[in-house]
Amino acid sequence: MSTPLLEMSGVRKRYGGVQALDGAELTAVRGEVHALLGPNGSGKSTLDKTLAGTVVPDAGTIRIDGAEARIGGPRDAHALGVAAVYQQLSIVGDLTVTQNVVLGLEPARRFGFLDQRAARDRAGAALERFTAAFAGRLPLDRPASALGPGERQIVEVAKALARRPRILVLDEATASLHKEQVDVLFDVVRELRADGVLVLFTSHRLDEVFALCDRATVLRNGRTAGTVELAATDEDELVRLMVGDAPHQAPRAARAGAAGAGSAAEGPVSSPAATLEVRGLTTDRLRDVSFTVRSGEVLGLGGLQGQGQSELLLALFGGAHVGAGEAVLDGRPLPLSSPVKAARAGVALVPGDRGRQGMFAVRPIQENLSLASMHRRATARLALRGAAERGAATAMVERLRIKIGSLADPVSTLSGGNQQKVVIGKWLLDRPRVVLLDDPTKGVDVAAKEEIYAIVRGLADDGAVVILNSSDNRELTELSDRVLVVFEGTVVEELDAEAISERRLISSALRLGPGETL
Amino acid sequence: MTGAAAGLVDRVRGVQLSGLATVAMLVVAVAVNSALQPNFWDSYALTSNFATFVPLVAIAVGQTIVVLSGGLDLSLGAQVTLASVVAVQVVDGSLDRFPLAVAAALGVGLACGALNGLVVALLRLQPIVATFATSFVFSGLALVVLPTPGGSVPFEITTAYRDSVLGVPVALLLIVALALVWLVLRRHRVLRHVYAVGGDADAAYASLVPVARTRVWAYVLGGLFAALSALAILANTGSGDPFVGNELTLASVAAVVIGGTALAGGRGGAGGSVLGAIVLALVTNIIFFADVPTDYRQLVNGAVIILALALAGIPALQKRRPSA
Amino acid sequence: MSTPVVDTPRRGLTAWRPGPVALAGTVAVALVIAGEIVSPGFAGYGQLVNLMRVAAFLGVIAIGQTIVIIAGGGGVDLSVGKVATFSAIIGSRVMAGDDANIVPAVALALLVAAAIGLVNGLGVTLLRIPPFVMTLGMIGVVQGLILAYTGGQAEGRAAPALTSLVNGRVILDLPGLLFLWLLLGLLAVWLLRRTTFGWSLFAVGANRTAAELTGVRVNRTLILAYVLSATFAGLAGILLLGYTESVFLDLADQYMLPSVAAVVIGGTLLAGGIGGYAGTAVGAIVLTVLQGLLTTLDIGGAWRTVVNGVVLLVLLSLYGRQRRLRS
Ligand SMILES: Nc1ncnc2c1ncn2[C@@H]1O[C@H](COP(=O)(O)OP(=O)(O)O)[C@@H](O)[C@H]1O
Ligand SMILES: [Mg+2]
Repeated sequence: MSTPLLEMSGVRKRYGGVQALDGAELTAVRGEVHALLGPNGSGKSTLDKTLAGTVVPDAGTIRIDGAEARIGGPRDAHALGVAAVYQQLSIVGDLTVTQNVVLGLEPARRFGFLDQRAARDRAGAALERFTAAFAGRLPLDRPASALGPGERQIVEVAKALARRPRILVLDEATASLHKEQVDVLFDVVRELRADGVLVLFTSHRLDEVFALCDRATVLRNGRTAGTVELAATDEDELVRLMVGDAPHQAPRAARAGAAGAGSAAEGPVSSPAATLEVRGLTTDRLRDVSFTVRSGEVLGLGGLQGQGQSELLLALFGGAHVGAGEAVLDGRPLPLSSPVKAARAGVALVPGDRGRQGMFAVRPIQENLSLASMHRRATARLALRGAAERGAATAMVERLRIKIGSLADPVSTLSGGNQQKVVIGKWLLDRPRVVLLDDPTKGVDVAAKEEIYAIVRGLADDGAVVILNSSDNRELTELSDRVLVVFEGTVVEELDAEAISERRLISSALRLGPGETL
Repeated sequence: MTGAAAGLVDRVRGVQLSGLATVAMLVVAVAVNSALQPNFWDSYALTSNFATFVPLVAIAVGQTIVVLSGGLDLSLGAQVTLASVVAVQVVDGSLDRFPLAVAAALGVGLACGALNGLVVALLRLQPIVATFATSFVFSGLALVVLPTPGGSVPFEITTAYRDSVLGVPVALLLIVALALVWLVLRRHRVLRHVYAVGGDADAAYASLVPVARTRVWAYVLGGLFAALSALAILANTGSGDPFVGNELTLASVAAVVIGGTALAGGRGGAGGSVLGAIVLALVTNIIFFADVPTDYRQLVNGAVIILALALAGIPALQKRRPSA
Repeated sequence: MSTPVVDTPRRGLTAWRPGPVALAGTVAVALVIAGEIVSPGFAGYGQLVNLMRVAAFLGVIAIGQTIVIIAGGGGVDLSVGKVATFSAIIGSRVMAGDDANIVPAVALALLVAAAIGLVNGLGVTLLRIPPFVMTLGMIGVVQGLILAYTGGQAEGRAAPALTSLVNGRVILDLPGLLFLWLLLGLLAVWLLRRTTFGWSLFAVGANRTAAELTGVRVNRTLILAYVLSATFAGLAGILLLGYTESVFLDLADQYMLPSVAAVVIGGTLLAGGIGGYAGTAVGAIVLTVLQGLLTTLDIGGAWRTVVNGVVLLVLLSLYGRQRRLRS
């Protein structure tokens, strides 16, 4: 091979307490479709963004055609021939489809006045191949906000194609597409490959990767775990690269008896008979979800990410508009109308986006821990006593073995794992009866992961109802007594203790892809 | 063909949906006003009514552009004041110097807008507070330029301003001209980028839109329209006043809101704001002709503005959920 | 058992640097020294006490401003000056110079102020009107209320007891006002640091979504913040009434900008979630000394407004920057 078209090396990027990229490497050549794979949170999107210029890495070099590329922003990337389809689309909802496709590179006449006809022509040309996706009629003048998710995705693709890139980044571009549209996209990508374009392709669907890509680079925890020729690789090998060779642990169900006995000494948190029954729960993103969880049980939520798992947890916590259905805890209906009521009723949510939903980055650890339960310790629900708050927080720091300097430090000074423990700890101080965990170990290092697993097991053993969503199938395997596989907002499969395994979870999730049968 | 037709239907519907409330308010305001003001439809009353509308219409168009970009300019009123006192000092009663005064006013608007733009886009200060701070700079400077009301505008200008051409008041023509300027601007790349930045700054940035430069442009355009507003005020009143713009800032925001532009940015247009400004001006008229006691006029006016702002918040009531 | 956690707290970024309170304090001292150099006697005891007295009114108004700004989301209360004026006007009219009327007068003034704050809070939370716009609009409404209430003519007089409480010398020849300020300041600090309201307020300011998902009553907290803001403004109006004894129609209007500036100088983040009252109190002193200095330098009304605007801009660019688009 001659000089590779793209060489990225030693790319590092840190977000607060999370090391998103930790020296990632990627090398790819002209006329290649190169898969970029890895579990959720492994840094794929961040790596894509450093190439596209929307993220500036802390360290690392990017070479294009052997020359070092200085990418200070999207315009630099564009000048180097890079165009990206972002996982979080770069579509402006209030602009029309045409305006979105040409955005930033609008054809103009003299003095910067827009040439609307040229814009329409360019957008039409870029979208033409996908006409079938729009029921045969291109919505060139409709606002993008009026389109469905798949249609918006196609507009994002067309926008990148209209930039005529040498390097095209496709980050989860197929996640919301139907089979026929995926086929069109693949045809387009194959033509680009024939023209010498490099396509970086990220998808959770391994069958797509094998169908389309030549090689694959696998990221794990922000580091490159390896690059493989796909023709000489099978699914097992890829999954092993993604998951690592950590020793396989027996599912939690198999050990349930032993663990339960061990923690009984600490005394149960809630009555052992607690049962959560969810019936016909329906929201914008959920359809008729029903299930039952007993106290002491960990119910896992599996499937491809973004199928409604997070919404389900949010809905149970009163954070989504519930159209129909109910949840009953020990015979009493749970209030689903607001998080405040849910929290008062004994429900706790450890949300999926720690930074945005879970913690108060600039506030002290003390306040982060106290907030959910402080009204219980306050005099007249108003006056706080410093000693009581410090005592409660210190007890939780010790119980969860949170590594901190001082309770007065902002929680943002902690590492990701310890931040997550603080988020969990604030709820444990409130003694919840139902604990909802949304991807609790995302962006958390291995050692802290194990500790969080122990906390989750302890919660169940103490009699709480635990529902766990995880993008990490090994985590589901290790922790769950049962797993519900979620697809497009509804439960499509239930795996019991014997059926839970990483392989089974992955295949359950993937086999349900559109156009395929069970 | 069918595609284009569908698009057109969509567009018309979009206009109707957001514009209906504005138009309804305008109709009600005109009806009430013509009932209360004895000779509302006389040419003299029409002329003088329109003459008082122009300043608010102009500043509302400027505010619209800033709001569309995702910002808010609380210094626009102060800019009107500054531009008007500078212009009145320059013109000093002489018609010869009027072009110079126009240039001076526009220069002031440009400079103020550029300062706001730089502060917001480059220093990345919150637009509301930053323009609040600059408003003190501008209104202080206005007092330095013209400590007490005074100065005079050549009578040819004030006469022409209140004249009419073929029975159409000049002031109405000016309003139409402002609307036309807006329509022309809307076909320019800068305005397209303004919409994109206000709609989703991150997406716009990723799409190669020069976000910072676009923001500066929005404030500069806002300043230029403030300058036009200042000139209209001078033509209407005939003299300078170092406090004249005080009330205009909030009124401009209210006009934008009544006109259906989202304060969040990215959605709406100045057409609605023109109507919104007229509605607001009519409300002032109505309060005057409804024999509201002098002492209560300001209260009613303030309450109407708050109510108008509240109207914008009502859609929010339907979907108030954590953005989780 | 799992292995002990190896990661240590990362404190590189939080290495010691002078906090905003210390910084503002230094500025205050420097301004006093500058004043003394420009005009000997500026830093005399009597002069300083006088400056502190002027600072006290601003300091009390800025208590509420601190609270709403901490609440974040662009929270600010521009109506504090007008509310203080209105409260003083109500107080003076109901007192009518008679000690017997103090309690009803103060109660009515504070009740009206709190009601105005309630409307601000409802507009900001339920109708989602941006706080700047809502409270700016409220200025017009309160001005209208003042005109309607007074008919353009302020009447009444402070009760003698109020005047002697505010102006009377207590110890060290310090006026009672300073002790009242100290008391209210301590109340503010307690409210912010040692109550569920205060911690909820910081949480709402730091991350509204997370606050909601932690079971904090976000709207109730915000509404209470605006009610408190208006109430403290009303209280400042009463104190001002005690000081001036009679009122005029724009008595406290000019406190609008300084109240925001004092908060910003004191290191409370305009973005919300960080700050406290101690800094604001120092900020109020800094601003007052600055005004004293400008007076000494004979810089009059117009230029003073310009200087104040520029000072606010400079401070904002030190403390109030927003995030970059490129991360
Ligand atoms: N803007 C951000 N702020 C804070 N953390 C982030 C941000 N973007 C990504 N992260 C974190 O960085 C890690 C890698 O994220 P990402 O690159 O999106 O992973 P992937 O695309 O492989 O799922 C995750 O832990 C994620 O939470
Ligand atoms: Mg990703």
